[in-house]
Amino acid sequence: MTRDGLVLAIETSCDDTCAAVISRDGEIRSNVISSQEVHGRFGGVVPEIASRHHLELLDPVLDRAFADAGATLGDIGLIAATRGPGLVAALLVGFNAGKALAASRELPFAAVDHLHGHVAASYLAPARLQPPFLSLIASGGHTLLAEVSEPGPDGMRVLGETLDDAAGEAFDKGARLLGLGYPGGPALERLASGGDPEAFAFPTGARMPGLEFSFAGLKTALLYRIRDLGETEAQRRRADLAAAYQRAIVESLMLRVRRALRTTGASRLAVGGGVAANGALRSALAELGVELDVPPPALCTDNAAMIASAARYVPAVAFPGYLDLDVYASGERALGSQ
Amino acid sequence: MRVLAFDTATPATVVALADVGAEPGHGGLWLELRDDPPPGARPGHTQRLLALIEEVVATGGGWDAIELIAVGVGPGTFTGLRIGIATARALARGRGIRLAGVSTLASLAAAARARAPGSAIVALIDARRREAFAAAWAVDAAPLQDPPLIAPCVLTPAELAAAAAALESPAIAVGDGAIKFRAVLEPAGIRVPPDGSELHLVSAREHSRLAARAAPNGSGAVLPAYLRVPDAELTGPRCTPHQS
Ligand SMILES: [Zn+2]
Repeated sequence: MTRDGLVLAIETSCDDTCAAVISRDGEIRSNVISSQEVHGRFGGVVPEIASRHHLELLDPVLDRAFADAGATLGDIGLIAATRGPGLVAALLVGFNAGKALAASRELPFAAVDHLHGHVAASYLAPARLQPPFLSLIASGGHTLLAEVSEPGPDGMRVLGETLDDAAGEAFDKGARLLGLGYPGGPALERLASGGDPEAFAFPTGARMPGLEFSFAGLKTALLYRIRDLGETEAQRRRADLAAAYQRAIVESLMLRVRRALRTTGASRLAVGGGVAANGALRSALAELGVELDVPPPALCTDNAAMIASAARYVPAVAFPGYLDLDVYASGERALGSQ
Repeated sequence: MRVLAFDTATPATVVALADVGAEPGHGGLWLELRDDPPPGARPGHTQRLLALIEEVVATGGGWDAIELIAVGVGPGTFTGLRIGIATARALARGRGIRLAGVSTLASLAAAARARAPGSAIVALIDARRREAFAAAWAVDAAPLQDPPLIAPCVLTPAELAAAAAALESPAIAVGDGAIKFRAVLEPAGIRVPPDGSELHLVSAREHSRLAARAAPNGSGAVLPAYLRVPDAELTGPRCTPHQS
């Protein structure tokens, strides 16, 4: 252990209750994720239900994070928590617990931006990528491209975001239209593997200039196509529909990635977010011919190790300077675009 | 016993540090700090709670003498309850201090009991959506120790009027819900102190007294008294007041 102590981080921005302990040089000691499998029957995350579960799960998750790390609170030198963006009621559980835990020991505290966390997953040991690079973050909650010039939050400039649905949301909504459960990404991918991606042409927003994403039209296109085919035929061609729909999401992402690589001249690309686990996207990215970092799936989906990693590059606030800090919701603040 | 107590069930952020059981005038410590946002303003729980806690703890000479943390478990605003309980659990973990949950309704009633002897007491917290969180205790009952006449539940104005009419008299109603539903309560013969009365304010000092008396729970057992299921699950039967 280094002289400054370990980093403990808490992440509760959506429906995963997460805590992790890492060393200052980015070695993961523990990374505990408790996924709430209660939102499926509602077809999406219900903020109030997610927040209730966070409060119930946080203590056991913290216990396990310490146990897995073989560490106690006395070994911790810095406590971090996700400040936003995310569901406010959910964020408040982990953020207040993090502040209070830090205050009880008069430890410094780092308030971490969730998106900065996704990027900082690439800095965890073994360190795979250092700035400058281009970052694509695609999940159920966010879809954006950022130019990363340095590892701190100020070194992140957002180049383009989604104007409507996130890429992961597009997967989930498409899956629902195809009669698959929630979350639908993995199920849709499985169905697509037996289909022909060329069977149908779905919109990719190719004529939309710039680096902004849009997935709402794609979902509508799938809805109309299923209607046009009729129930029986749509059922018979489910795999083709899934394959073509997945191809459109991947192509929509790749179009903007290629554009961003061209305009920024970046030669390296890091990918984060749950959608990075998608096989079709991973193959397409591998063909770009740039130096590529896709963290392992457990570090792509929401987790606290990435928040702890980011905390190392955030100016830590000494006790008691953080007592009055508050969280921020989705859309209230965006990194590098104030 | 030195107790740190706080409550965030209502828009107010209330924090107290108290030596419970110390003889009056014998150096027992009593500190209470509160932040009452103006009507309509957003509660300042996240920004104020920890700052007020640190202020009373520092004024009281630090953490070492504190034996118990008492937190109000509501009912009240869901987010407020979670902020208070998440904070309480983290402080208890960080300092290795025992934790106890206190019913905010029982605390309101207990504080009123001393000022209104010989009355039945109805504690009411504004539940928004034109409803109230309610609990009531008989004339000679001690809140938290004796079983309530009306166990904590959520009531519409009509249900509240019916419950109020069935109470023995005299009866007094306290809490921000009592102010809000004055027009329902007074015709039923329930006395409601003036809006500015201290009896309507949640007192963390009262929490500390009640918690010091009650058996402490493990920190996992301190859970919010939501009394309402999330909207997404609103299919089950409503809670009704059980008279005992
Ligand atoms: Zn995320």
